[in-house]
Amino acid sequence: MTANSATGNGGDAARAMAGAPCIVRYQGVIKRFGAFTALNGVDLDVHAGEVVCLIGPSGSGKSTLLRCTNGLETIDGGAIEFEGATLPRDERALRAMRRRMGMVFQSFELFPHFTALQNVAEGPRTVLGQSADAADARAKALLAKVGLADKAASYPSALSGGQQQRVAIARALAMEPDVMLFDEPTSALDPETIGEVLNVMKALAEEGMTMVVVTHEMTFARRVGDWIAVFDAGRIVEQGVPDQIFDAPATDRTRDFLSHLGWTG
Amino acid sequence: MTLDWSVVWQHRDALLAGTATTVLLTFATMAIAVPCGIVVAVLRLYGPAPVRAAATAYVELFRNLPLILVVFWAFYVLPIWTGLSGLSPLATGLAALALNVTAYNAETFRAGINSIRRGQVEAAMALGMSRLQALRRVIVPQAVRRITPVLASTWVSLFKDTSLVSVIAVTELAYSAMQVRAQTFRVLEMLTAMAAIYWLLGYPQAKLVDWIQRRYAVTE
Repeated sequence: MTANSATGNGGDAARAMAGAPCIVRYQGVIKRFGAFTALNGVDLDVHAGEVVCLIGPSGSGKSTLLRCTNGLETIDGGAIEFEGATLPRDERALRAMRRRMGMVFQSFELFPHFTALQNVAEGPRTVLGQSADAADARAKALLAKVGLADKAASYPSALSGGQQQRVAIARALAMEPDVMLFDEPTSALDPETIGEVLNVMKALAEEGMTMVVVTHEMTFARRVGDWIAVFDAGRIVEQGVPDQIFDAPATDRTRDFLSHLGWTG
Repeated sequence: MTLDWSVVWQHRDALLAGTATTVLLTFATMAIAVPCGIVVAVLRLYGPAPVRAAATAYVELFRNLPLILVVFWAFYVLPIWTGLSGLSPLATGLAALALNVTAYNAETFRAGINSIRRGQVEAAMALGMSRLQALRRVIVPQAVRRITPVLASTWVSLFKDTSLVSVIAVTELAYSAMQVRAQTFRVLEMLTAMAAIYWLLGYPQAKLVDWIQRRYAVTE
């Protein structure tokens, strides 16, 4: 059974990037934690240049799917393909693949003993073996891009949550990834700093970056997302273009979830 | 009883040389026990099962033996085991201290590494780092900063505990002072002088480590 059949795929015709190559493909992905089944057969395609938003109640498997994408969790069934190749189990091969996927965490996870600049330059230096000069120059440019050129010498503890998360985005971008994975990037932020992070993400999307975003920000999902996947109990209950998901949801689960959030369309 | 403090001044050379040896022993022991402690901690946390077991056995053995026993053991048993009969008392004492303090440091580092939250390793791995790179660049530097106060008290304890190697005739401060006492019978003067030297050297060290900790502490 594919996602397109029973769960109401919101019409591939409306999917703008449907013709672009598949960057990430999830096929029947299963993940268990002990007796708990976190993912119970997830099928989803992420095309080049698309922003795919994963929405749904807490504990429905969105973050788990994201963490399986770069191998932070290993799957128990099905397959995940990245740029046409199945995600390897071998550590070394997995590392090579992770370099091409950027990840942004809910809790930022900046390295507290490094300055903002060092945080951004760390990946290129340690993983890609770039010279300090080259890595620093690129890190400066990326900090400027996320609006934090003046914070290069600051330690994470001296930055606000929104600033920390923007540094974390720059850190992931420094590896020049083919896809960016966002795991609830604004959930740990004060309301007043959420906007600055979402703006950076929006700008990134407009540049054509392929993004998979786990989010509770429905306005962002609707405005920036190209494709929405609604999760419930380890499954995608519905996926489609934003207009369909938010205006004409095909399943009760989607309607329930959106109405719980007070979404009125 | 009349006190004759001139005896201390008369034997200043012996006391100075002894003090130098004590300081040398402390630095040399820590120079060995910090890197070795990190290695043992990492092996105990991430090594294959037999290596983990061996590292655990080592730590639990040396952490639970009196240091003076280890000193004697190193003096009598180490030459037989290693075939190095010409080992000087200083080298033997250093080996005993290093074995003991490495075990303590390994436990300290293990606690420090465990205290770094999982997300930090994941952030490093997500960048494509290997486990070893994540340890070297992200985990150990944070762990070291976090456990500096514990290492500091280990350091101050070690500085005093070097006196135990006097039992195998290492001419450090305690041994030298006791030698002078044996020659001159000025017990009170020599013990007081010894106490003064240990305290005057130990106290600033403790303060210095406190300062280093404040200077390099990581705020989160």
